[in-house]
Amino acid sequence: MASPPDPDAALVARAVLSDDRHAFAELVRRHQSAVRACLRKLTAGNHALADDLAQETFVLAWRHLGGYRQEAKLSTWLYRIATNCWLADARRRKEEPLGDAADEVADAAGTAFAEERAAPDHARGATMKLDLERALAALSEGERAAIVQCYYNDLSHEEAAFVLGVPIGTVKTHVLRGKQKLKAALAAWAPRQDA
Amino acid sequence: MTADTTPPTAANECDWLDAALVADGRDHAASYVDDAGFTARVMAALPAPAAVAPRWRRPAVAALWTVAAAGAAIALPGAVLDVGREAFRLLAAQPVSVAQIAAMLAAAGAATWGAAAWALRAE
Repeated sequence: MASPPDPDAALVARAVLSDDRHAFAELVRRHQSAVRACLRKLTAGNHALADDLAQETFVLAWRHLGGYRQEAKLSTWLYRIATNCWLADARRRKEEPLGDAADEVADAAGTAFAEERAAPDHARGATMKLDLERALAALSEGERAAIVQCYYNDLSHEEAAFVLGVPIGTVKTHVLRGKQKLKAALAAWAPRQDA
Repeated sequence: MTADTTPPTAANECDWLDAALVADGRDHAASYVDDAGFTARVMAALPAPAAVAPRWRRPAVAALWTVAAAGAAIALPGAVLDVGREAFRLLAAQPVSVAQIAAMLAAAGAATWGAAAWALRAE
């Protein structure tokens, strides 16, 4: 079965062959939301930093668009650049969210849970999302990136491995470890036997 | 996420976390980040397009130099001949041996290959 034509292919060709900035602007408009949302997850909700990194991502994409071989979807290729930008920035900032931070997050999640246990379902859902976001922020960079790619960007393990530049086995390990930590941090949200 | 009544085994613990992540991921995918000038900022941050010289510039410059040289040769025929003759005499008067020429060629070759190797390594 023939795969459907890539809707970005014509724009990429125009941008590469004719140095067409209008075509590239259209690509940015198409993908900015996904890339910025992904970076917002990776930066634990730091919108300003996420937007700076997204801008860096698209500038790098413009510079290296000639090297894009269409082996992966353009969105996946952009996620790869975005993740690399985020990792480089995290290294520059020497961001080390592991260790005590995870315990603090777990405590915070438990506190929020205790306060919201009796709240209506929509409020509990919002609190759960907040706790999940905090718990995600406490994961290591590799674990967070793997979970964001697999669950939030809806990529397969193979695609996530391409984005992260690691073997598939490493992606699976990061996801597994990340979920173990999330489970510990969000223990208060686990279904109870006495309910 | 709503609580269920199944016992918290390892399997359903993963299930509830999976369900929470999938639901959050679905919300994430459905949400749209408004452009709000982002595309314009990206386009402004792109490197400026390389200035491309028009095609006619190189032949025009060559033609102008040729005309200037021809004009000088016609206006000052003696000067051109004198300069050429003196330049040849200057070069011919240099006491250069075959060994020195070979050494110069070897040095030039080493410099060229060294520069090429450096450029390839830098890439």
